[in-house]
Amino acid sequence: MMRRRVDRLGRIALQAAYTCQRDAPPCPGVFASRYGEMGRSVELLETLARAEPLSPTSFSLSVHNAMGALFSIARGDTTAYSAVAAGAETVEAAFVEACGLLADGAPEVQLVVYDEPLPRPFDSFTERRMVPHAWACRVRAAQAGSGVTLTCHGVDGDAPRAEPGDLEDDLAVLRFLVGGAAAYDHAVGSRLWRWRRDV
Amino acid sequence: MQALEQEIKKLVIETLNLEDITPDDIDPAAPLFVEGLGLDSIDALELGLALQKTYGVAMKSDSQENRRHFASVRALADFVSAHRKA
Repeated sequence: MMRRRVDRLGRIALQAAYTCQRDAPPCPGVFASRYGEMGRSVELLETLARAEPLSPTSFSLSVHNAMGALFSIARGDTTAYSAVAAGAETVEAAFVEACGLLADGAPEVQLVVYDEPLPRPFDSFTERRMVPHAWACRVRAAQAGSGVTLTCHGVDGDAPRAEPGDLEDDLAVLRFLVGGAAAYDHAVGSRLWRWRRDV
Repeated sequence: MQALEQEIKKLVIETLNLEDITPDDIDPAAPLFVEGLGLDSIDALELGLALQKTYGVAMKSDSQENRRHFASVRALADFVSAHRKA
């Protein structure tokens, strides 16, 4: 009965979450999205601007943690979950959050990343073509020498502005995670995120 | 009254995005909330708003009274026919 309330992006995100979860025991979750369901917010704002009453359903789902909440409620799972948005660094922030949860004693953390193209009038803010997508993974502490390392570095002076890559920021990270590359550098403003595969 | 009940069933299905449910699947005398269709409090608010937009009927904040109006499609039809402006 909950699915009927969820729009496209939410359905994609929850599909990824359920597929990744399968029969695994519940673990803390991090739901990360750069923009979330912006279409819903635009619709609500337009309704407000017309001085019409807001849809209670839409209003209840307009928060950034809505998908994590539905995933938790629908499965009756009271394990902690959090919602992350950090601009171009959303995935890096989500992994930092996941590492925090691991350090706090969680044996595993489920990460769900999802985004879709920005609706008008915000679509001019995107640097590159976006596609509706979601992916999920479970993160756990690596055995020595067999994992992935993420570090953050300050960049001195005027770092050359990174050319926007061919993929959305989170998908570029996914490509590194599932591909064979030894390294992926992601420069954002004065920070450089370094992804390295331990060998 | 039966026509209004049919109309309200359609309104419930469309407003609440009920998937795979047709008006004929809804028993006009069956409970809408928790049991029966299994709707919840957000649905009640959404439905109240739709009734207001469609028929100009406003719910009072008296929860006992609302509970009675929202008991079933039949109760909603009674309420709407007694108070409708449109």
